[in-house]
Amino acid sequence: MKWSSFKYLTKQGLHSMVQNRLMTVASVGVLTACLIITGIAALLSVNVNSFVDYLSDQNEFEVYLNDGADQTVVDAFVQSVSGLGNVAEVEYVSKAQAVEEMRSWMGEDGDLLESYAGEGNASNPLPASVRVRVDDLELLAETVESVKGLGADLIYDVQSPTELSSVLVGMKRAVTYAGWGLVAVLGVVSIVVISNTIRLTVFARRKEINIMKFVGATNAFIRLPFFVEGMAVGAIAGVLSTAVVGGGYYALLRALENPNAAWLGEFTRCMWPFKDVIWIMLGGFVLFGVFIGGVGCATSIRKHLKV
Amino acid sequence: MNETARARPVIEVRGLRKEYPLGDEKVVALKRIDLTVRRGEICCIFGTSGSGKSTLLNLLAGMEKPTRGEVRIGGVPVSRLSEEELAAFRQRHLGFVFQSYNLLPGLTATENVAMPLMFRGVPKAQREQAARAMLRRVGLAHRLDHYPGQMSGGQQQRAGIARAFLARPDVVFADEPTGNLDSHTTVEVMEMICAFSRDLHQTIVLVSHDPEMAAYADRIVTLIDGEIVSDEPTDRRTLP
Repeated sequence: MKWSSFKYLTKQGLHSMVQNRLMTVASVGVLTACLIITGIAALLSVNVNSFVDYLSDQNEFEVYLNDGADQTVVDAFVQSVSGLGNVAEVEYVSKAQAVEEMRSWMGEDGDLLESYAGEGNASNPLPASVRVRVDDLELLAETVESVKGLGADLIYDVQSPTELSSVLVGMKRAVTYAGWGLVAVLGVVSIVVISNTIRLTVFARRKEINIMKFVGATNAFIRLPFFVEGMAVGAIAGVLSTAVVGGGYYALLRALENPNAAWLGEFTRCMWPFKDVIWIMLGGFVLFGVFIGGVGCATSIRKHLKV
Repeated sequence: MNETARARPVIEVRGLRKEYPLGDEKVVALKRIDLTVRRGEICCIFGTSGSGKSTLLNLLAGMEKPTRGEVRIGGVPVSRLSEEELAAFRQRHLGFVFQSYNLLPGLTATENVAMPLMFRGVPKAQREQAARAMLRRVGLAHRLDHYPGQMSGGQQQRAGIARAFLARPDVVFADEPTGNLDSHTTVEVMEMICAFSRDLHQTIVLVSHDPEMAAYADRIVTLIDGEIVSDEPTDRRTLP
């Protein structure tokens, strides 16, 4: 196809959108609504996932050591734990450090512990410990068992949030499956709805198609303006839905900055920043819209090409 | 042009039959049509509504496939061509004039008339120059950049005629071309079609139920219930 013909057909497709504006508005409206719901589901999914990932990152367990353990043995134990799989980070906390940490948590009341402070203070009741941070929350229970196996005589107790970890893992799975499942279902619904809307457009313009065929138009020549129209409808719906979902997301982020929403502080911190989301959203929505518009057209005009 | 060339058949129809399914039944629109139309001839397919004349026109133009039989135009079996081959064949050899003009509403008169040349890949400037010349010839010099909605029925039909004849097709099919026009414009339009045909030695297949319009033809083929019941020359006959 010549460039001039391509330009002409593209112009025809855009011109036809204006001429059939009622149908264009209907198509854009339907696709925008689907994209908005899809976008909300996707945003919810990525943000909950991000929060769960954040919680996972915070996850660690603490291995309390018996008092009087030989420092060389403790060092060897720390070294062995570091070498275990799924262990991201290991930190040894001495008895004196434990007191200092507790004093800092207690704030002004921390002075109450002053008599226990200092290296080698025999009155310090807090045990030394090894803090272990894991890579994969799902393998937490196995990692705890491996650590216990490395220093059974050395360990006084292990504090591990195994129950919380299983809740978080379950939550992440549920949100991932439900979120992307919803996106997939809405994607299919969008294709079906837009395909039917475009089918109506094509049906309303079957006379135009017939004229062009009588005058000698090839199928490709007839299809292109409809493709242009479908894809332009998709692109417009993509921009509109980005404006709606992006605007709503921005407003939500602003609202969460309000002191009254401080209880959501951890979750708010994990949410994707607006500037990171908006361009991905715009690109995703426009591409998705253009794809659906094109697929919808392809499935619709085939039926009406024979006159 | 010599007499032999003029007498050469352009359209040859052999044993043409068309059936349409209607539930479990089938409706026979054309029973068995045998017809030959010669180069430069104006042939009117005459019949009442439901006689099968529009079905015959669609089959001649390759718009529908026959149930049986064959249509050849210039020796080419149009009923056996693929969609793409048909499109190319229409671009080169066929023109159409419709009862409801069938101009594209979003295009100007010039753009509408130039359309057949666009499908042939003729550059824009060249095709629009040819279209403007043709529009002037049909008396629409003052409507070159008007849209169909800004023109009267007669003007739209003249633009339709300009479009049909612009690419100098071998055969022009005219389906009730004056059906929506007043009697004065009918005469103008029919004389214009006949003049083009005679100037360019083009074959016209005219479909009509109007005896006055049929009188413009060289020959009238009358259809009743999907069968040719008469095939007679008229007083205007110009062919040998």
